[in-house]
Amino acid sequence: MLRVRAVFEKTGRAKYISHLDLNRCMLRTFRRSGLPIWYTEGFNPHPYYAFALALSLGFESKCEILDFNITDDNMSMNEIRDRLNAVMPEGMGILSVEEQKLKITAIAKAEYSFSMVTDEPEELMKDVEKLLSGESILIEKKTKKGIKTVDIKPDMEIIGCEKTDRSVDMIMRLPAGTQTNYNPTLFVEALKKSGAHPFEDEKFVRRAILCGDNTVFR
Amino acid sequence: MELKEKIEKHLLEVQKPSRYIGGEVGSIIKDKSKVDVRFAFCFPDTYDIGMSHLGMKILYSLTNERENYWCERCYAPGEDFEAIMRENDIPLYALESLDPIKEFDFIGFTMQYELSYANVLNMLDLAGLPVFADERGDELMNIVVAGGPCVCNPEPLADFFDIFILGEGEEVNLELMDLYWEMKQKGCTKLEFLRAAAQIEGIYVPRFYSFEYNEDGTIKKMNVTDGAPEVVRKRIIKDLDSVYYPENFVVPFTEIVHDRVSVEVLRGCIRGCRFCQAGFIYRPFREKHTDTICKSTKCLCENTGYDEVSLASLSTSDHSEIDPMLTELIDYTAKERINLSLPSLRVDNFSESLLEKIKKVRKSGLTFAAEGGTQRLRDVINKNVNEEEIMNTCRISFAGGYTSVKLYFMMGLPTETDEDIVGIADLADRIIDLFYSIENRPKGRGVQISISVATFVPKPFTPFQFEPQDTKEMIEHKQKLLMDSVKSRKVKVSYHDPNVSRLEVILAKGDRRLCKAIYTAWKKGCKFDSWDEYFNFDKWMEAFDECGIDTSFYANRRFDYDEILPWDHLDYLVTKEFLIRENKTAHKAVTTPNCRLRCSGCGVNKKVGRECFC
Repeated sequence: MLRVRAVFEKTGRAKYISHLDLNRCMLRTFRRSGLPIWYTEGFNPHPYYAFALALSLGFESKCEILDFNITDDNMSMNEIRDRLNAVMPEGMGILSVEEQKLKITAIAKAEYSFSMVTDEPEELMKDVEKLLSGESILIEKKTKKGIKTVDIKPDMEIIGCEKTDRSVDMIMRLPAGTQTNYNPTLFVEALKKSGAHPFEDEKFVRRAILCGDNTVFR
Repeated sequence: MELKEKIEKHLLEVQKPSRYIGGEVGSIIKDKSKVDVRFAFCFPDTYDIGMSHLGMKILYSLTNERENYWCERCYAPGEDFEAIMRENDIPLYALESLDPIKEFDFIGFTMQYELSYANVLNMLDLAGLPVFADERGDELMNIVVAGGPCVCNPEPLADFFDIFILGEGEEVNLELMDLYWEMKQKGCTKLEFLRAAAQIEGIYVPRFYSFEYNEDGTIKKMNVTDGAPEVVRKRIIKDLDSVYYPENFVVPFTEIVHDRVSVEVLRGCIRGCRFCQAGFIYRPFREKHTDTICKSTKCLCENTGYDEVSLASLSTSDHSEIDPMLTELIDYTAKERINLSLPSLRVDNFSESLLEKIKKVRKSGLTFAAEGGTQRLRDVINKNVNEEEIMNTCRISFAGGYTSVKLYFMMGLPTETDEDIVGIADLADRIIDLFYSIENRPKGRGVQISISVATFVPKPFTPFQFEPQDTKEMIEHKQKLLMDSVKSRKVKVSYHDPNVSRLEVILAKGDRRLCKAIYTAWKKGCKFDSWDEYFNFDKWMEAFDECGIDTSFYANRRFDYDEILPWDHLDYLVTKEFLIRENKTAHKAVTTPNCRLRCSGCGVNKKVGRECFC
C-alpha cells in the first residue's frame, strides 16, 4: 500500500468551499478518478483520506496537505497526480504527490498573508506598530469549554508588514497543528478592537505549513 | 466594478457562499461570443432545492448539447444574500457566466409547486425586469417562459409570463429556441415571435387568450386572438429509450436536498389514484428498458463521483422488469460501494424477494402512503390497496427486522366522514397488534408507527378537480377527532399546516383574476411560502381581500361538471368526460382497475395514436 501525501491548491472560486464541503468534494473527486484508494476496514467501510489542517472559508492556499492510501503498490506518483487533476473542480489542483514522511504531529505552525485595505495606510501602519509593540495581544478564543482570553503575542512571528498606497499587507506565522491553532483573523479582530483606523481585511492566503524548525512540512 | 468582483466582495458575509459563485464540477462554460441564444434556467427557490430537481438537469444538459445555445442555472438567493444584492445593485445573475439574466434571450422558470409563485415575481424583480409581461417591451429578448406540472393551470401566473410550455420539454424547448433564433436574425418583434410560437404544439401564449365571466363569478366565455389555437395540447416524448438523458450532472459543493444521482425509470403512472395530479398529467405510462437504466446509472456515477443513486419515477415497482433491473443495479452498486435508494414503492406489489433486495441497500424505516383510513374511502380515491395488503407488507417488513412504519394519510377527502378519521387510528392499532403477534419479530425494541396527515388539495386534471376543499373548521374538527382516537403511545401523529393547503388549492384552481392578488402578496413581502419560517397566511389573505377575491369561491366551492374551468382550453390528453366519469364512480365508492389490467378509457391512447400496453 502506498501512503501518499498530496500538496494541493485551493484558489479562486474554490476558496468558497467550506471544510465540510471540501471533504465531500474530495470523496467525489477520488471516485471520479477511479484510483484504487484504500477503504477503512470497520463496520462501515469508507475511503480513508485526511486533511492535515482545515483551511478557513475564504482563504486561498497553494500548500494544503491531503493524506490517503493507494492499494496498488505499482502505481506511480505522477499517475496519481494526473488522474486526480483530470477530475478536480476549478480552482483546485494537486501540485505534488510524494510518500508520507513526517507524522502529522510534526506540524507546528502556518504562515499567512493578508491585506488590510484603508484610505489612510499610514495611519493604519502606525496602529499596527502600536499593537505589535505592546505587552500583549489579547484575543477571545472560542473553545469547547467556552470563551477564553488568550495572549497570542508570544506565539506570533511577524515575517512582513508593508505599506502600499491602498493597504497594509502583512505576513505572519501562527501556531498550527494538533495542539494550538490561531487564525490570522484573530489578529485582525484585535487590531480593530484596539481602535485602529477603519479598514477592510481581504486576500487571506495560507503560504506555508511548517514544522517547529521552520522547515516546510512534507 | 465587474459583477463578479461585486459579488465576491460580499460573498463571505452570507450563509453557504458556494451556492452563489458557480464553478461546480459538471457546470458548462461556453464562449458567449460564439453563442446565439442564451437561456437562463431559473428555479424559483433556493439552490439547495433547485439543484435537486431532475427535470432541470435533463434540460440543462440537453440544451447545452447544442453548440450555439447556452443554458445556465439561476436560483432564488437566500434572504441574507438578497439583502446584499439589493443594497449593492447586484442584479440576479446566472451561475455559469455570472452575467445578469436580464441580458438573456430566454428566462425560463420551472413551476413545481404553487407556493413558489411569489418567488418568480421576486426573481424577475431582482433581475431588474418588470414582473408584468406587457411591461417588458416589444424587443425580441427576455422571453419569460415556464414549464412544469403547475402550468397545467397557469392562469394565476398568466400576466407574468410570455409563454407556458405544456408537457415534456425535451423536444419543444429546442423547437422554441430554433424559432427564436430564426426570427431574431430576421429582426422580428416579440409579438411576431409569440404569434409564430403559438403555432408550435405545446406552446401556450396567455396574452392571446382572454376571459369573460358570469355574474356568479364562473367563466362565461374564452376569446382567442392572433390566430392562436383554441386548445393547446401538451407535448410528450414517445420513446423514452431514445430520449436524451444526461451523462453528467452539475455536482454541488454544498449539500443539497437530493444529493445523489437520479436515474429516471419510467414516466406516467398506471394507477389512477383520483387525487393525484401527477398520475394524470404525465400520462401515458412509458418505461425505459433495464439496459438504458443501468447504462445511465453507471455513466452518471462514474462522471459525478456520487456514491448514492436513486431511481426516479412515480411508482418504481410498477416497472415491468423491476426484479431483473434491481438485480443488475444492485450487482453494480454493491461492487462499487454505492448506495441505491428506492423511493416510490407501492404496498400492493411489495414482494418478499423485493424486500430482500431492498434490505441489502436500505436500513431505515418503511413508508407507506395508505392515504385513507377505511377501505370505503380508499375505494373512493382509487388507492387500490386493501388492508390485507398493508398488513401483509407490514408483516414481511417486521419479520425482516423493521420496527418502524410511517403511514401517510390525507384528511378532507371527498365523502370523508368521522368514521374514516377514526379508521386511521384503528389501522395503526391493528398494525401494533400485528407486530406483537409475530413470532420472529425484532427483539428488544418496540414498534413505532408515525402517522403523517396532510390536508387534501383538489387539483386540476384529476377526477377530484371539481371537489371543494374542507373548510378550516371541518379540518380542525377532524384533527381533534384523530388526536382523541389515538390511544397508544407507540403512535405519533403529525399534521401539515391546513392554511398552506388552503393557499395551494386557491392557486392551483384559480383563474386569471388571481394574478393581481399574487402581485399584491409579493408586494407585501410574501416569498418562500413553502418554508414554514416565511409562510405568512395573513398577508396572503389581506392581498386577496384587497383585490376583492373571495377565496372560498376557489377553495370551498364544488365546480360544476358543465362549468368552463380555467384550464379547459389546455389539453393534457386525458378527456374531461373521463374525469367526470371517474368523479361519479368515486362518489359510488367504486374503484377503477390499473391501466395494465384494463384500459379505463382516459383518452390518451386515442390522442397519442397507439395503445399504452401491447
